[in-house]
Amino acid sequence: MTRALGWLTVLGLVAGLVAGFGYAPREAVQGNVQRIMYLHVPAVLTAYLAFGLVLAGSIGYLATRRPGWDRLAGAAGEIGVLFTGLTIVSGSIWGKPTWGTWWTWDARLTSTAVLFCVYVGYLLLRSLIEDPDARARYAAVVGILGAVNIPIVHFSVKWWRALHQPSTILGPERSPIDPAIGLALFVNWVAFTLLFAYFLARRMEIARLEEQT
Amino acid sequence: MPANWGYVFAAYGIAAVALLTYWRRLARRARALAARRAAKPRAA
Repeated sequence: MTRALGWLTVLGLVAGLVAGFGYAPREAVQGNVQRIMYLHVPAVLTAYLAFGLVLAGSIGYLATRRPGWDRLAGAAGEIGVLFTGLTIVSGSIWGKPTWGTWWTWDARLTSTAVLFCVYVGYLLLRSLIEDPDARARYAAVVGILGAVNIPIVHFSVKWWRALHQPSTILGPERSPIDPAIGLALFVNWVAFTLLFAYFLARRMEIARLEEQT
Repeated sequence: MPANWGYVFAAYGIAAVALLTYWRRLARRARALAARRAAKPRAA
């Protein structure tokens, strides 16, 4: 099952590259550098999904005390940190030619950096506590509190004056994106979601084996 | 606007390296755990 998901993910990623580099047109204002969007936006959407699952797993664990919920939260947190890191790095690389700087203390960038640090702290906390029950309990509390930052990241461009552009796909208005660019973005988002599901399945299986050995 | 392909390849290259490294780390950990389970003496 996981193997099949792995191959489906490879297929999805190849389709994403073809869509982003072959099918989608060169953006009129930014030129080719806009193609970083097909990596940057799916990465942040995957990170939102991962941290949403940390929240669900944390609530599930505190409500039921079943270790499966904690495995879900721990695995999703680790993968979420990976995708948030990719979001920050790809955004920084995109920022240099478009904004003229690698980094600025803009509301969206700062809140994303805080999100990254909170979940790195979550992983550190998990690695520091030996007792599985205490680890799951404390991590669940941090997992729930950390999720508060997700809407702050997403709505930061609305709530504060920011250099980062407002949301174009998860905003309340109809998306102004060209259909070809929108389709390439959708294909890459599906591919990243598949990649996340594959990593999550493998990481949860490893956590289960670690508990047994 | 210049082509800026260097930035595009840098972003995708770093992402590919990070994702492949994580995938390899998971695979290595799974193999190590499987080997440890196989080496463990079974209870009679």
